[in-house]
Amino acid sequence: MSKLTFERPIIQRINAGLPSKYGMPRRLDPISHIDGTSIKSLLDEFGSPLFVISEQTIRKTYKEAHRAFSSRYPNVQFSWSYKTNYLNAVCNVFHQEGAWAEVVSGFEYQKAIENGVPGELIIFNGPDKSTDDLRLAIENNSLIHIDHFDELYELIHLSKEMGERPKVAIRVNMDTGFYPLWDRFGFNFENGEAWDALNRVMASKTLDLLGLHTHIGTYILSTDGYRIAAEKLASLAVKLEKKYGHVLKYIDLGGGFASKNTLRGAYYPGTDTAPSFDDFAEAITSALMSSEIKPDHLPMLILETGRAMIDEAGFLAGSVLATKRLADGRRATIIDVGVNILFTSFWYDHDIRPVEAVSDQSEDTTIYGPLCMNIDVIRGNIMFPLLKKGDHFVIRRVGAYNMTQWMQFITLRPNVIMLDSKGKPHLIRKKESLETINSLENTPEHLKNFEL
Amino acid sequence: MLKIKSTIAISDSGFVFDAGTGDSFSLNNTGLEIVRLIKEGKDFPEIIQKVSEKYEVDEESFERYYYDFVATLNQLNLIEKDGED
Repeated sequence: MSKLTFERPIIQRINAGLPSKYGMPRRLDPISHIDGTSIKSLLDEFGSPLFVISEQTIRKTYKEAHRAFSSRYPNVQFSWSYKTNYLNAVCNVFHQEGAWAEVVSGFEYQKAIENGVPGELIIFNGPDKSTDDLRLAIENNSLIHIDHFDELYELIHLSKEMGERPKVAIRVNMDTGFYPLWDRFGFNFENGEAWDALNRVMASKTLDLLGLHTHIGTYILSTDGYRIAAEKLASLAVKLEKKYGHVLKYIDLGGGFASKNTLRGAYYPGTDTAPSFDDFAEAITSALMSSEIKPDHLPMLILETGRAMIDEAGFLAGSVLATKRLADGRRATIIDVGVNILFTSFWYDHDIRPVEAVSDQSEDTTIYGPLCMNIDVIRGNIMFPLLKKGDHFVIRRVGAYNMTQWMQFITLRPNVIMLDSKGKPHLIRKKESLETINSLENTPEHLKNFEL
Repeated sequence: MLKIKSTIAISDSGFVFDAGTGDSFSLNNTGLEIVRLIKEGKDFPEIIQKVSEKYEVDEESFERYYYDFVATLNQLNLIEKDGED
């Protein structure tokens, strides 16, 4: 007779009369496969931890977003937000689907060029554009979104010096009912600064004003802010046409759509609260369509949503390093994924699941990363199955920001693979080694030797 | 020798009731098995033998989980304090 599987022995207090506000305890069902490929086999082949990106999910999400907007508005263009995930393979999936590139630094700009994005289809946002960056963007006919007056005047200067006509848009910040107000980027709508900037651009006669841009915030759970933003930008477009007879080519509503992750401390899960692409599309397009803009002058609608496009496609698989008991008797599980590679665990209660069906029981658990740092907490408390050392887990919805904001800190950054549409794995970023890190360092001659 | 408090009743399904305090607890299968063996007065070598006959577990892992589990029982006041070695 074969022996039974051993489960870690546990005893839990029953708190009768104190029902959980979340109802019955939720069982965390294991996730053993991504796109039909076994997570265990991927960990065996590529090591633990491991980022896994589903190409299929990216394409599906893109198509869903595109359909939501293009079925409501005649001229829609998506632009891939590089900072959200600028692994070249990821960017190229979006480019293959038809997205332009949206970049916020010289480094990202170069990345987009190297990926083969034509210069005129790169939107250059953000407060950090060096003179050299601007020169290159002007030469390439890229769309420069002006963030502040210093940049505006530099562009006027460069246009004269280079004898070129830079293609520009003005970034506008505004009150859409959200706090905090992102007034650090662009020119304010309410105090008239945005209108001043537009007048200045028109007066220069050397800048080619193509559009208006705003980006109202991040992880926005209400669609109403986008309606207000679209109305305000439309009113500026109408004013421009009235005063100068100038018709804008595009209005760029930026991004910030919430993904289905759950914010820390949120009462309901993100899967229930995040609006759909259709909800966002309805708010934005109906505001533009019902604005005073003449129907045959309706500008192209550009969207730069990053988070909602890629979060769902990213998974982070790993292994349990140890379990221990805390001073108050609660369980602690230590995993090989820390906040240095899962930056978003500072904001989200990530959905973390066992890979193998190890146990029907769960325990009140704190999940810690491997770093010898007190801040390294992946989940503060979660009813989690009884995983043992060596068992595997997978964290869902990690596609946005983690593979750009990750840090080489204490541990090294792991392999990233992409599963193609058939579920076949491709290594798209190699894990770092001691050599990767040391190759950037230089030890002065007099510090090379020591005796202990 | 470990001794489970005399006020404690344990059902076949792993439901634990402490008549002394009114607290109730639930055990998983392996937990129930171990508590029963402790109640029967078995010591650690006997317990490990019994458990490893039935379950797929090596001695080293079992020892680790066993002592951790016993510490939890202690913390929950289910062990007779004067019953310790």
